[in-house]
Amino acid sequence: MRRMSVFPQHGTALGNLGLTANEIRQETENNTSELVSDLVNLSAGARFEAIRSLHVPFNEKKTIRNRVNSVKLSKTILAADCRQQVSRSFRRFRASLASAMQHLVIWQDTLKEIGGRFGTSVLSYFLFLKWLLQFNLFSLIINFCFITIPQIVHAPNISSITGFRGLELLTGVGYFNKTVLFYGGYNGEVIVSKPAYNMQLAYFFTIAAYLVLCGVSLIYSTSRSFQKNFALETGPVSGGAWRLLCSWDFSVVNEKAIQYNKNNLAIQLKESLSERLQEKNKMSRSDRIKHLSLHLLAWLLSLGLALGSCAGIYFLGTNRELAFSFSHDPSDLGAEASTLLLPVVVSLFNLIVPLLYSLISKIESYSNPRAKIYISIVRTVILKMSILGILCFYWLSFVPTNISCWESFVGQSVYRLLIIDFIFCLLGIFFGEFLRNVIGTMCIQSLGVPEFDIARNVLDLIYGQTLAWIGIYFSPLLPVMQVLKLFIIFYLKKISLSMNCQPPKHTGRAAQIQTVFIALLFFPSFVGALSMVAFTVWSLKPSDQCGPFQGLNTPFHTIFNWTHSLPETHWVRWIFENILRSELFYYLISLIVLVITYFLWQITRGRKELIKTLREQIVNEGKDKAFLLNKLQNLQKERREMASYRPQDFDQTPHFNPNWMNTLPMDM
Amino acid sequence: MGNKQTIFTDEQLDAYQDCTFFTRKEILRLHGRYHELAPHLVPMDYTNDPDVKVPLALIVNMPELKENPFRNRIVESFSEDGQGNLSFNDFVDMFSVLSEMAPRELKAIYAFKIYDFNVDNYICKEDLEKTLNKLTKEELTPEEVNLVCEKAIEEADLDGDSKLSFADFENMISRAPDFLSTFHIRI
Repeated sequence: MRRMSVFPQHGTALGNLGLTANEIRQETENNTSELVSDLVNLSAGARFEAIRSLHVPFNEKKTIRNRVNSVKLSKTILAADCRQQVSRSFRRFRASLASAMQHLVIWQDTLKEIGGRFGTSVLSYFLFLKWLLQFNLFSLIINFCFITIPQIVHAPNISSITGFRGLELLTGVGYFNKTVLFYGGYNGEVIVSKPAYNMQLAYFFTIAAYLVLCGVSLIYSTSRSFQKNFALETGPVSGGAWRLLCSWDFSVVNEKAIQYNKNNLAIQLKESLSERLQEKNKMSRSDRIKHLSLHLLAWLLSLGLALGSCAGIYFLGTNRELAFSFSHDPSDLGAEASTLLLPVVVSLFNLIVPLLYSLISKIESYSNPRAKIYISIVRTVILKMSILGILCFYWLSFVPTNISCWESFVGQSVYRLLIIDFIFCLLGIFFGEFLRNVIGTMCIQSLGVPEFDIARNVLDLIYGQTLAWIGIYFSPLLPVMQVLKLFIIFYLKKISLSMNCQPPKHTGRAAQIQTVFIALLFFPSFVGALSMVAFTVWSLKPSDQCGPFQGLNTPFHTIFNWTHSLPETHWVRWIFENILRSELFYYLISLIVLVITYFLWQITRGRKELIKTLREQIVNEGKDKAFLLNKLQNLQKERREMASYRPQDFDQTPHFNPNWMNTLPMDM
Repeated sequence: MGNKQTIFTDEQLDAYQDCTFFTRKEILRLHGRYHELAPHLVPMDYTNDPDVKVPLALIVNMPELKENPFRNRIVESFSEDGQGNLSFNDFVDMFSVLSEMAPRELKAIYAFKIYDFNVDNYICKEDLEKTLNKLTKEELTPEEVNLVCEKAIEEADLDGDSKLSFADFENMISRAPDFLSTFHIRI
């Protein structure tokens, strides 16, 4: 759409070109009519977006909108009143739907307050938490409605072996063992009611549908975020211009926070000035080798620590006395408590090893502070994902052959891990933030108030969410725990932030780090959980004595049984057997996707070239402008000199405004 | 719908919804905030479009703007007379552009207007120095201020006229994806 000129054609600008007031009015009127005719041709939604995005004062927008509406009305066939009423009531309905949806948004005021006091980067942590909460709430609702309620309503009488003791809340066994909290509490019978409800299919499809929806939503968010935030990164971006004009956070309203931000900005500007003024010392060859070897050493240490923690966890898990003594004697309190040992060790590793990593990174020197953040994120992600990987390996290879009703065991392990992780988070808030603040302000003044480390907190959230996704198949009501946990953490972190911490100092490029986090939530986290669940469903034999898939070879066989029970010509059966089960279909799909990706990649490359050319064009036009102005000024000087020699040849000096080129509309 | 309010006619509310990024409820809430600023000046009944402008001094006392270093420039950029006296339409327009739903191009235009202190459609070195002084007060020496502004113009000026035109500014914004979230005031 043709863009209106950025600066309204006030009399002064066009007047320099020698136009009269009438001509100016005519020009403005022409522009407006062209705009109105452009807008009329758009669809309704695009039209209102375009009107809203016009950069003119509100009254002009209203005039334009009224004109567009009257033009549209004059073109309709139906009676003007009727059409107007219909469109207006439809728009009102959409608007009221939007405002009703706003009621469902929780924490609106709290988030505004947090953003106002701490800025956008800290707010992004809380928005991320809210987003994860939505995933878990959705899962909870559909699991509860489709799986748990039918099971509760038609439950066979299962009496628990032991009564309720307090330890159940931590370990998840005992009283909870055969309840609907875990896989073992469900059975796969077909509930014979008016529409026959097949519990096996319900269990399978609910979990599958939820995971597919999660995946789609994550892919959509990742690509949207990538598109918005990884924009054209050419040229220097961490310079003074950016920091001066684009980095000030307008949403902060708290006086102390604003003062803090001002101080930070001053410090960063001074730092960048001093970097500039210093000579960029060329590193000698031996220095470079030293740096490289330090980096290598640091990486080796980090990977070694990660490997060591994994090995420790694996050996602890496969220690037969610890792991399996409980399943032999369910009433032994000591054995039940010993099942907590593995989660505690895992959480300790998750807590201590990243601190070791930050110590290790002190021996390295980085040219770029952002590189430091990214490398520490990568190392922590490797640690957490390898711990989860080894746990999954242990659950999928070792446990099924050694324990009866192994899915419930896995569900209970995940439950324990989540609870202990939550307890460690609470302890972390207390010791890591509260006590550290006390020490920093009272005892050792040089330490200062702790900074709110966004990366570490977000990675903890991602870790917890990965566990929740792994556990959904084995424990359908696990999202209850995750929802409660996220709720409590939100309020505790907010309180701790206001009392103990200060916002992080280096907030540059927050949008890019946000994208990295969303991408991390998709790639190792969700994909890993999905592959584990998929492996379980596809190839592992479900336990024989409990659960909805008893007696089958793999849980996936429920689909086979169901489609075989349908008549031969049924379309579902046909699709399943000829499309989903045939390899040719998948080869074709992969080929098509690869070809489309290749095309899109070439288009992107072409666009990058175009952007480069356009940038060069802007520079060239600037040079042209300077050249032409120079020439004009020389010409004027010559004419004036000649006029002073022979005044009779020149009656009047030409009135010329050298800046006339600047007043032209932008889109010329 | 059910809500019988007498502040605006339905046509007026429709116009507000079509031309800004706010819903009906938010517009009524904004009117409440506008009325709070000057209860004796702002009528509760806007059905006949009264021509009321709240002066600059009252608007910059709003909690959302009170501590903002650019509060005067923000209000001036959205006022019709350039002096900072906002009618309700200008008030709604201002918060609509500063809301999170406004697109990047629209925000860039108004950000340019805000940073252009002498309103000459260019951000020249004096404008940058004023911006820097508002952002840092007394932490930087005058030489440092001078250096920073020179460096900034050197980096961002594409067409070589030693001041930033809107095209230069927009080019810089396009490389800063944080701009959308930082140029945002919640109300």
